[in-house]
Amino acid sequence: MLQLDFLDDLRRMNMRQLFYQLLNFAMIVSSALMIWKGLMVVTGSESPIVVVLSMEPAFQRGDLLFLTNYEQEPIRAGEIVVFKVEGRDIPIVHRVMKVHEKEDGSVKFLTKGDNNNVDDRGLYANGQAWLNRKDVVGRARGYVPFIGIVTIIMNDYPKFKYAVLAGLGLFVLVHRE
Amino acid sequence: MSKKVAVSMEENPPKVNKWDGNALKNALDDAVKDVLLTQFSYVESHKLLDGRLIISSVAVGFSIFALVWDWLYPFPQSRTVMCVCVVSYFVMMGVLTWYTTCLERGIFCTALNKDAAGIDPDDVWNASSSLKRFDNKYHLRLTQRMGKSGKGKEAHTTLTVENFFDETGRLLYGAVAKEVLRLHSDVENKKN
Repeated sequence: MLQLDFLDDLRRMNMRQLFYQLLNFAMIVSSALMIWKGLMVVTGSESPIVVVLSMEPAFQRGDLLFLTNYEQEPIRAGEIVVFKVEGRDIPIVHRVMKVHEKEDGSVKFLTKGDNNNVDDRGLYANGQAWLNRKDVVGRARGYVPFIGIVTIIMNDYPKFKYAVLAGLGLFVLVHRE
Repeated sequence: MSKKVAVSMEENPPKVNKWDGNALKNALDDAVKDVLLTQFSYVESHKLLDGRLIISSVAVGFSIFALVWDWLYPFPQSRTVMCVCVVSYFVMMGVLTWYTTCLERGIFCTALNKDAAGIDPDDVWNASSSLKRFDNKYHLRLTQRMGKSGKGKEAHTTLTVENFFDETGRLLYGAVAKEVLRLHSDVENKKN
Protein backbone atom coordinates (compact mmCIF):
# COMPACT_ATOMS: atom_id res chain seq x y z
CA MET A 1 0.00 0.00 0.00
CA LEU A 2 2.70 2.39 1.11
CA GLN A 3 4.77 1.41 -1.90
CA LEU A 4 1.92 2.25 -4.25
CA ASP A 5 1.52 5.66 -2.64
CA PHE A 6 5.17 6.34 -3.35
CA LEU A 7 4.78 5.40 -6.98
CA ASP A 8 1.65 7.51 -7.25
CA ASP A 9 3.75 10.48 -6.20
CA LEU A 10 6.15 9.76 -9.05
CA ARG A 11 3.36 9.21 -11.54
CA ARG A 12 2.07 12.73 -11.01
CA MET A 13 5.42 14.24 -11.91
CA ASN A 14 6.17 15.60 -15.37
CA MET A 15 9.37 14.98 -17.32
CA ARG A 16 11.11 18.01 -15.85
CA GLN A 17 10.35 16.97 -12.31
CA LEU A 18 11.50 13.41 -13.01
CA PHE A 19 14.71 14.73 -14.52
CA TYR A 20 15.28 16.86 -11.44
CA GLN A 21 14.70 13.79 -9.29
CA LEU A 22 17.57 12.11 -11.16
CA LEU A 23 19.74 15.19 -10.87
CA ASN A 24 19.04 15.34 -7.15
CA PHE A 25 20.36 11.81 -6.79
CA ALA A 26 23.38 12.69 -8.92
CA MET A 27 24.07 15.72 -6.74
CA ILE A 28 24.14 13.64 -3.57
CA VAL A 29 26.70 11.29 -5.13
CA SER A 30 28.60 14.27 -6.60
CA SER A 31 28.84 16.06 -3.27
CA ALA A 32 30.50 13.04 -1.69
CA LEU A 33 32.84 12.71 -4.68
CA MET A 34 33.78 16.38 -4.71
CA ILE A 35 34.48 16.44 -0.97
CA TRP A 36 36.81 13.49 -1.53
CA LYS A 37 38.53 15.17 -4.50
CA GLY A 38 38.75 18.39 -2.51
CA LEU A 39 40.50 16.55 0.31
CA MET A 40 42.88 15.06 -2.24
CA VAL A 41 43.85 18.52 -3.45
CA VAL A 42 44.24 19.92 0.07
CA THR A 43 46.28 17.02 1.47
CA GLY A 44 48.20 16.16 -1.67
CA SER A 45 47.47 12.50 -1.07
CA GLU A 46 45.65 10.37 -3.62
CA SER A 47 43.78 8.71 -0.74
CA PRO A 48 43.59 11.15 2.17
CA ILE A 49 41.61 8.86 4.46
CA VAL A 50 42.37 5.16 4.90
CA VAL A 51 41.04 2.42 7.12
CA VAL A 52 43.58 0.48 9.15
CA LEU A 53 43.36 -3.28 8.79
CA SER A 54 46.23 -3.99 11.21
CA MET A 55 48.96 -1.84 12.69
CA GLU A 56 48.94 -2.83 16.34
CA PRO A 57 49.84 -1.55 18.85
CA ALA A 58 49.87 1.94 17.31
CA PHE A 59 46.48 1.66 15.62
CA GLN A 60 43.64 -0.81 15.99
CA ARG A 61 41.75 -2.55 13.22
CA GLY A 62 39.05 -0.18 12.04
CA ASP A 63 40.78 3.08 12.92
CA LEU A 64 40.40 5.84 10.38
CA LEU A 65 43.71 7.44 9.42
CA PHE A 66 44.01 10.93 8.04
CA LEU A 67 46.93 11.36 5.64
CA THR A 68 48.83 14.19 4.04
CA ASN A 69 51.46 13.92 1.36
CA TYR A 70 53.21 17.26 0.91
CA GLU A 71 56.24 17.04 -1.34
CA GLN A 72 58.22 19.61 0.66
CA GLU A 73 57.97 17.71 3.96
CA PRO A 74 60.87 15.28 4.28
CA ILE A 75 60.30 11.69 5.34
CA ARG A 76 61.84 10.96 8.73
CA ALA A 77 62.52 7.77 10.70
CA GLY A 78 59.75 7.05 13.22
CA GLU A 79 56.97 8.42 11.05
CA ILE A 80 54.07 6.23 10.06
CA VAL A 81 53.66 6.06 6.29
CA VAL A 82 51.09 4.45 4.04
CA PHE A 83 52.72 3.01 0.94
CA LYS A 84 51.87 0.97 -2.11
CA VAL A 85 53.86 -2.03 -3.26
CA GLU A 86 53.75 -3.29 -6.81
CA GLY A 87 51.60 -6.38 -7.09
CA ARG A 88 49.59 -5.63 -3.92
CA ASP A 89 46.13 -4.09 -4.11
CA ILE A 90 45.94 -2.85 -0.53
CA PRO A 91 48.38 -0.15 0.68
CA ILE A 92 50.34 -0.91 3.85
CA VAL A 93 50.57 1.24 7.01
CA HIS A 94 54.00 0.81 8.65
CA ARG A 95 56.65 2.81 10.47
CA VAL A 96 59.79 4.21 8.81
CA MET A 97 62.99 2.65 10.21
CA LYS A 98 65.85 3.92 8.06
CA VAL A 99 66.10 6.86 5.69
CA HIS A 100 68.78 7.67 3.12
CA GLU A 101 68.66 11.07 1.47
CA LYS A 102 70.78 12.29 -1.43
CA GLU A 103 71.79 15.87 -2.17
CA ASP A 104 69.54 15.89 -5.25
CA GLY A 105 66.55 15.34 -2.98
CA SER A 106 65.92 11.71 -3.83
CA VAL A 107 65.17 9.51 -0.86
CA LYS A 108 64.98 5.81 -0.11
CA PHE A 109 63.70 4.30 3.08
CA LEU A 110 62.91 1.05 4.85
CA THR A 111 59.78 0.31 6.87
CA LYS A 112 58.70 -2.20 9.53
CA GLY A 113 55.44 -3.05 11.23
CA ASP A 114 55.53 -2.30 14.96
CA ASN A 115 54.33 -5.80 15.77
CA ASN A 116 56.52 -7.60 13.26
CA ASN A 117 59.87 -9.10 14.16
CA VAL A 118 61.47 -8.32 10.81
CA ASP A 119 61.53 -5.36 8.47
CA ASP A 120 59.30 -5.13 5.42
CA ARG A 121 61.74 -6.30 2.75
CA GLY A 122 59.82 -9.55 2.52
CA LEU A 123 56.66 -7.58 1.73
CA TYR A 124 58.17 -5.41 -1.01
CA ALA A 125 58.14 -6.38 -4.66
CA ASN A 126 60.60 -9.02 -5.74
CA GLY A 127 64.13 -7.64 -5.60
CA GLN A 128 63.02 -4.32 -4.08
CA ALA A 129 65.12 -3.37 -1.05
CA TRP A 130 63.97 0.21 -0.47
CA LEU A 131 60.87 2.37 -0.90
CA ASN A 132 60.97 5.63 -2.86
CA ARG A 133 59.04 8.88 -2.62
CA LYS A 134 56.65 7.78 -5.38
CA ASP A 135 55.55 4.71 -3.37
CA VAL A 136 54.15 6.88 -0.60
CA VAL A 137 50.37 7.40 -0.47
CA GLY A 138 50.62 9.62 2.59
CA ARG A 139 51.81 10.06 6.12
CA ALA A 140 49.56 9.65 9.15
CA ARG A 141 48.55 12.99 10.62
CA GLY A 142 45.63 12.02 12.81
CA TYR A 143 43.17 9.23 13.44
CA VAL A 144 39.63 8.51 14.56
CA PRO A 145 39.19 5.19 16.34
CA PHE A 146 36.72 2.43 15.36
CA ILE A 147 34.62 4.27 12.75
CA GLY A 148 36.31 2.46 9.89
CA ILE A 149 34.99 -0.86 11.15
CA VAL A 150 31.80 -0.06 9.21
CA THR A 151 33.82 -0.01 5.99
CA ILE A 152 35.56 -3.25 6.92
CA ILE A 153 32.23 -5.00 7.57
CA MET A 154 30.83 -3.60 4.32
CA ASN A 155 33.80 -4.94 2.40
CA ASP A 156 33.66 -8.32 4.14
CA TYR A 157 30.03 -8.73 3.12
CA PRO A 158 29.79 -7.16 -0.35
CA LYS A 159 26.20 -8.30 -0.84
CA PHE A 160 25.18 -6.42 2.31
CA LYS A 161 27.03 -3.35 1.04
CA TYR A 162 25.29 -3.41 -2.35
CA ALA A 163 21.91 -4.02 -0.70
CA VAL A 164 22.36 -0.98 1.56
CA LEU A 165 23.58 1.22 -1.30
CA ALA A 166 20.79 0.08 -3.63
CA GLY A 167 18.21 0.67 -0.89
CA LEU A 168 19.44 4.19 -0.18
CA GLY A 169 19.69 5.00 -3.87
CA LEU A 170 16.19 3.77 -4.58
CA PHE A 171 14.82 5.75 -1.65
CA VAL A 172 16.35 8.98 -2.93
CA LEU A 173 15.16 8.32 -6.48
CA VAL A 174 11.60 7.43 -5.53
CA HIS A 175 11.11 9.87 -2.68
CA ARG A 176 9.89 13.24 -3.86
CA GLU A 177 11.56 16.07 -2.01
CA MET B 1 3.31 8.49 -19.10
CA SER B 2 0.89 10.19 -21.45
CA LYS B 3 -1.81 7.61 -20.77
CA LYS B 4 -1.75 8.46 -17.07
CA VAL B 5 -2.25 12.14 -17.75
CA ALA B 6 -5.42 11.36 -19.65
CA VAL B 7 -7.23 10.59 -16.38
CA SER B 8 -7.75 14.00 -14.84
CA MET B 9 -6.80 14.72 -11.28
CA GLU B 10 -10.38 15.71 -10.55
CA GLU B 11 -11.66 12.24 -11.47
CA ASN B 12 -8.82 10.42 -9.78
CA PRO B 13 -7.41 12.50 -6.94
CA PRO B 14 -4.17 11.20 -5.44
CA LYS B 15 -4.12 9.15 -2.27
CA VAL B 16 -1.29 9.83 0.13
CA ASN B 17 0.13 8.66 3.40
CA LYS B 18 -1.37 11.25 5.73
CA TRP B 19 1.55 11.05 8.16
CA ASP B 20 4.05 12.10 5.52
CA GLY B 21 4.10 15.90 5.48
CA ASN B 22 6.00 16.01 2.22
CA ALA B 23 3.45 13.84 0.46
CA LEU B 24 0.61 16.04 1.76
CA LYS B 25 2.30 19.18 0.48
CA ASN B 26 3.09 17.63 -2.90
CA ALA B 27 -0.49 16.44 -3.33
CA LEU B 28 -1.90 19.86 -2.41
CA ASP B 29 0.60 21.65 -4.67
CA ASP B 30 -0.31 19.38 -7.57
CA ALA B 31 -4.01 19.96 -6.98
CA VAL B 32 -3.60 23.76 -6.82
CA LYS B 33 -1.59 23.66 -10.02
CA ASP B 34 -4.19 21.47 -11.68
CA VAL B 35 -6.99 23.86 -10.72
CA LEU B 36 -5.08 26.87 -12.02
CA LEU B 37 -4.33 25.21 -15.33
CA THR B 38 -7.71 23.56 -15.96
CA GLN B 39 -10.18 26.11 -14.58
CA PHE B 40 -8.61 29.05 -16.38
CA SER B 41 -7.15 29.22 -19.83
CA TYR B 42 -3.64 29.68 -18.49
CA VAL B 43 -0.50 28.22 -19.97
CA GLU B 44 2.12 26.78 -17.66
CA SER B 45 5.57 28.35 -17.80
CA HIS B 46 8.49 26.08 -16.92
CA LYS B 47 11.13 28.80 -16.78
CA LEU B 48 11.71 28.64 -13.04
CA LEU B 49 12.19 24.88 -12.92
CA ASP B 50 14.29 24.98 -16.10
CA GLY B 51 16.66 27.39 -14.36
CA ARG B 52 17.08 24.98 -11.48
CA LEU B 53 17.62 22.09 -13.92
CA ILE B 54 20.36 24.01 -15.72
CA ILE B 55 22.17 24.95 -12.50
CA SER B 56 22.06 21.36 -11.20
CA SER B 57 23.13 19.93 -14.56
CA VAL B 58 26.16 22.21 -14.70
CA ALA B 59 27.11 21.21 -11.13
CA VAL B 60 26.80 17.50 -11.91
CA GLY B 61 28.71 18.14 -15.15
CA PHE B 62 31.67 19.45 -13.16
CA SER B 63 31.73 16.35 -10.99
CA ILE B 64 31.46 13.96 -13.94
CA PHE B 65 34.25 15.85 -15.70
CA ALA B 66 36.41 15.60 -12.56
CA LEU B 67 35.74 11.87 -12.35
CA VAL B 68 36.69 11.23 -15.96
CA TRP B 69 39.73 13.54 -15.89
CA ASP B 70 41.09 11.99 -12.70
CA TRP B 71 40.69 8.57 -14.25
CA LEU B 72 42.56 9.61 -17.41
CA TYR B 73 45.31 11.54 -15.61
CA PRO B 74 45.75 10.04 -12.13
CA PHE B 75 45.99 12.33 -9.17
CA PRO B 76 49.19 14.34 -8.90
CA GLN B 77 48.84 15.31 -12.59
CA SER B 78 45.15 16.16 -12.36
CA ARG B 79 45.62 18.45 -9.35
CA THR B 80 44.82 21.77 -11.04
CA VAL B 81 41.78 20.42 -12.85
CA MET B 82 40.51 18.82 -9.64
CA CYS B 83 40.94 22.11 -7.83
CA VAL B 84 38.94 24.01 -10.46
CA CYS B 85 36.18 21.35 -10.57
CA VAL B 86 35.79 21.15 -6.79
CA VAL B 87 35.59 24.93 -6.38
CA SER B 88 33.19 25.28 -9.33
CA TYR B 89 30.99 22.49 -7.99
CA PHE B 90 30.58 24.09 -4.59
CA VAL B 91 30.04 27.50 -6.17
CA MET B 92 27.22 25.94 -8.23
CA MET B 93 25.76 24.43 -5.05
CA GLY B 94 25.80 27.93 -3.54
CA VAL B 95 24.09 29.32 -6.65
CA LEU B 96 21.47 26.57 -6.42
CA THR B 97 20.76 27.42 -2.77
CA TRP B 98 20.48 31.09 -3.66
CA TYR B 99 18.18 30.26 -6.59
CA THR B 100 15.78 28.16 -4.54
CA THR B 101 15.67 30.48 -1.52
CA CYS B 102 15.72 33.87 -3.25
CA LEU B 103 14.11 33.30 -6.65
CA GLU B 104 11.87 30.24 -6.36
CA ARG B 105 10.78 30.85 -2.77
CA GLY B 106 8.39 27.92 -2.80
CA ILE B 107 6.82 28.78 -6.16
CA PHE B 108 5.65 25.48 -7.61
CA CYS B 109 3.58 26.78 -10.50
CA THR B 110 3.85 29.70 -12.88
CA ALA B 111 0.86 30.19 -15.14
CA LEU B 112 0.68 32.70 -17.96
CA ASN B 113 -2.49 34.45 -18.95
CA LYS B 114 -1.71 34.98 -22.61
CA ASP B 115 -2.71 38.34 -23.97
CA ALA B 116 -5.48 37.62 -26.47
CA ALA B 117 -4.15 40.05 -29.01
CA GLY B 118 -0.62 38.84 -28.51
CA ILE B 119 0.71 42.39 -28.23
CA ASP B 120 0.99 43.11 -24.53
CA PRO B 121 3.15 40.96 -22.30
CA ASP B 122 1.38 38.11 -20.50
CA ASP B 123 -0.05 38.35 -17.00
CA VAL B 124 1.95 36.07 -14.75
CA TRP B 125 0.35 34.04 -11.97
CA ASN B 126 2.61 32.47 -9.38
CA ALA B 127 1.53 29.96 -6.76
CA SER B 128 3.80 29.30 -3.83
CA SER B 129 3.27 27.26 -0.71
CA SER B 130 4.87 26.12 2.48
CA LEU B 131 4.05 23.48 5.05
CA LYS B 132 6.21 23.37 8.16
CA ARG B 133 7.33 20.04 9.54
CA PHE B 134 4.86 18.50 11.99
CA ASP B 135 2.45 21.36 11.27
CA ASN B 136 -1.02 21.08 9.76
CA LYS B 137 -1.16 24.60 8.33
CA TYR B 138 -0.64 24.78 4.59
CA HIS B 139 0.20 28.34 3.55
CA LEU B 140 -0.77 29.16 0.00
CA ARG B 141 0.09 32.41 -1.74
CA LEU B 142 -1.16 33.46 -5.13
CA THR B 143 0.39 36.43 -6.90
CA GLN B 144 -0.54 38.10 -10.14
CA ARG B 145 1.78 40.39 -12.03
CA MET B 146 0.02 42.37 -14.71
CA GLY B 147 1.83 42.16 -18.01
CA LYS B 148 0.86 45.61 -19.12
CA SER B 149 1.50 47.71 -16.04
CA GLY B 150 4.02 45.39 -14.37
CA LYS B 151 2.12 45.90 -11.12
CA GLY B 152 1.60 43.00 -8.74
CA LYS B 153 -1.25 41.86 -6.54
CA GLU B 154 -1.35 38.96 -4.16
CA ALA B 155 -3.47 37.08 -1.70
CA HIS B 156 -2.62 34.57 0.94
CA THR B 157 -4.54 31.88 2.73
CA THR B 158 -3.83 29.30 5.38
CA LEU B 159 -5.46 25.92 4.96
CA THR B 160 -5.73 23.23 7.58
CA VAL B 161 -4.58 20.11 5.78
CA GLU B 162 -6.97 17.63 7.41
CA ASN B 163 -9.92 19.40 5.76
CA PHE B 164 -8.57 18.49 2.35
CA PHE B 165 -8.02 14.76 2.74
CA ASP B 166 -10.53 12.09 3.67
CA GLU B 167 -9.77 9.46 6.31
CA THR B 168 -8.09 7.15 3.81
CA GLY B 169 -5.74 9.92 2.70
CA ARG B 170 -7.46 10.65 -0.60
CA LEU B 171 -7.28 14.29 -1.64
CA LEU B 172 -10.61 16.14 -1.72
CA TYR B 173 -10.16 17.85 -5.04
CA GLY B 174 -13.39 19.84 -4.85
CA ALA B 175 -12.46 21.42 -1.53
CA VAL B 176 -9.05 22.47 -2.85
CA ALA B 177 -10.59 23.84 -6.05
CA LYS B 178 -13.04 25.92 -4.04
CA GLU B 179 -10.24 27.50 -2.02
CA VAL B 180 -8.10 28.17 -5.07
CA LEU B 181 -10.98 29.78 -6.98
CA ARG B 182 -11.78 31.94 -3.96
CA LEU B 183 -8.16 33.00 -3.60
CA HIS B 184 -7.97 33.66 -7.31
CA SER B 185 -10.97 36.00 -7.26
CA ASP B 186 -9.57 37.66 -4.11
CA VAL B 187 -6.49 38.57 -6.08
CA GLU B 188 -8.42 39.69 -9.16
CA ASN B 189 -10.77 41.88 -7.15
CA LYS B 190 -7.99 43.61 -5.29
CA LYS B 191 -7.38 47.20 -6.24
CA ASN B 192 -3.88 48.04 -7.26
